[in-house]
Amino acid sequence: MKKTVDVSIPLGPIHPCFKEPARVKCETKGEFVTGAEVELGYMKKGIERIMKGRPWQEVMFLAERVCGICSVIHNMVFIEALEKMSGIEVPERAALLRVVVNELDRMQSHTLANFSYCYTIEHETLGMYLLDMREKVMDLLELITGARVTCAYIVPGGVRFDLREEDRESLLASLDAIETDVRRYMGMFEGGSLIGLRSRDIGILSKEAALEAHAVGPTARASGMPEIDRRLQHPTYQKLQFTPVSRDGCDNFSRIMIRFDELLQSIELIRRCSALLPEGPVRGGGIPGAGEIVYCGEAPRGELTYFIKTDDAGRILDISIQTPSIMNIEACCHYMLKDAASIADVPSTFVSADPCIACTER
Amino acid sequence: MSAVIYEKDLTAMKYAILVSGRHDRVVREIAADLQVGVQQLRRYIIRHFDMMLMENIPARYEAGKKDDSLMEPVARELGMELYTRYIPLFGKKQIEPVIDEVEMLVAEGKPEEEAIRIGKAMLGEVLSR
Repeated sequence: MKKTVDVSIPLGPIHPCFKEPARVKCETKGEFVTGAEVELGYMKKGIERIMKGRPWQEVMFLAERVCGICSVIHNMVFIEALEKMSGIEVPERAALLRVVVNELDRMQSHTLANFSYCYTIEHETLGMYLLDMREKVMDLLELITGARVTCAYIVPGGVRFDLREEDRESLLASLDAIETDVRRYMGMFEGGSLIGLRSRDIGILSKEAALEAHAVGPTARASGMPEIDRRLQHPTYQKLQFTPVSRDGCDNFSRIMIRFDELLQSIELIRRCSALLPEGPVRGGGIPGAGEIVYCGEAPRGELTYFIKTDDAGRILDISIQTPSIMNIEACCHYMLKDAASIADVPSTFVSADPCIACTER
Repeated sequence: MSAVIYEKDLTAMKYAILVSGRHDRVVREIAADLQVGVQQLRRYIIRHFDMMLMENIPARYEAGKKDDSLMEPVARELGMELYTRYIPLFGKKQIEPVIDEVEMLVAEGKPEEEAIRIGKAMLGEVLSR
């Protein structure tokens, strides 16, 4: 007779499906997963400690180095927090250009997340298509900001560079091509029977559990919570009449599909920005001063919060960053992975929450 | 047999998480609420929580404070939901007898505020064991 034994199965810290090192310790009974724990500490940067005591001019570059995937939003939230604290106004054109760059950053982050998921469930073809599409988005980021990853595009009182008319046309033309690709890949994902088998009804995160763990971003919105989106509170997004998307599936499939939905939404937002883009300056000026603030923004993975305290010279006295991956990884390990039917679903479920260890270990 | 590579003692790293600005504020708030020493609470958390749950303490605490679904005043004041679901310091079986006892004290005529204070101290004792 076959024996069923209780064992602890550690995944990682180095795992072929994980983008970054983390150790997920799964408690199993036979092939059932009864619980999971996460061990961190393999890439701690101590970046918050490095920021303390430095002038804001240095910290704005450090902020976008918290995460290599969603660097734009770290730049944006840090600068907007300083602006709000010091009453610095941003020209309309610059505010819209910030949204354009932020949405491009969201697009490349979501595409990378969906690539990782497809790669994890062994659908490499779709994964490679998605990576190829991400390159087009990265090229657009480079076109506008001059850099692919750490752009430092957003500065107090505006943005670093204006968008030339020929670049705007090129951006819109590329977005048309990307939209066609997204719709094609969405169809492939939605209709793929093997994808469905590996993704539907797997890694369930109920609405109650999402609330309990304070899950944010697409992870929360895939559990039927459209209101969990900080863009709703952002003045520029309000002008663009932004409405969040959500799904009720609560499973891996919904989390991937909502990122596809948000890709289309980002394209639409960029088009709206482009249509509303007024003539005018992109840098209004202004120097951050003393103050204390808690400021949130919507990163690709969810709510990103900066707690900042500065002195008269704009030096950072205290700073604390709450990244969305903290909440989402916790929700993943303590709810999605708990009672999983198979250990084989653990890597894909973990990846479906789009975990960013760099963000978690600031 | 060679030494383990990844099975490390995580106490120092867990402590580093707990003494960071936001975590420290929340831990001190909970310790004051439950009338236990800060170090005592830190030790309990380090023993019972994994690193990810510890990282998420401030966000969970915030979510727990906002949750107003619990209607019974005594249970709400004692942090029935906050300390069992959001910050899982206690099991339901540990907190329910305390709630019963506090409700009994209130029924016997003790002012509710004092009865809650006694109940919180009883919860604090659970952490000290």
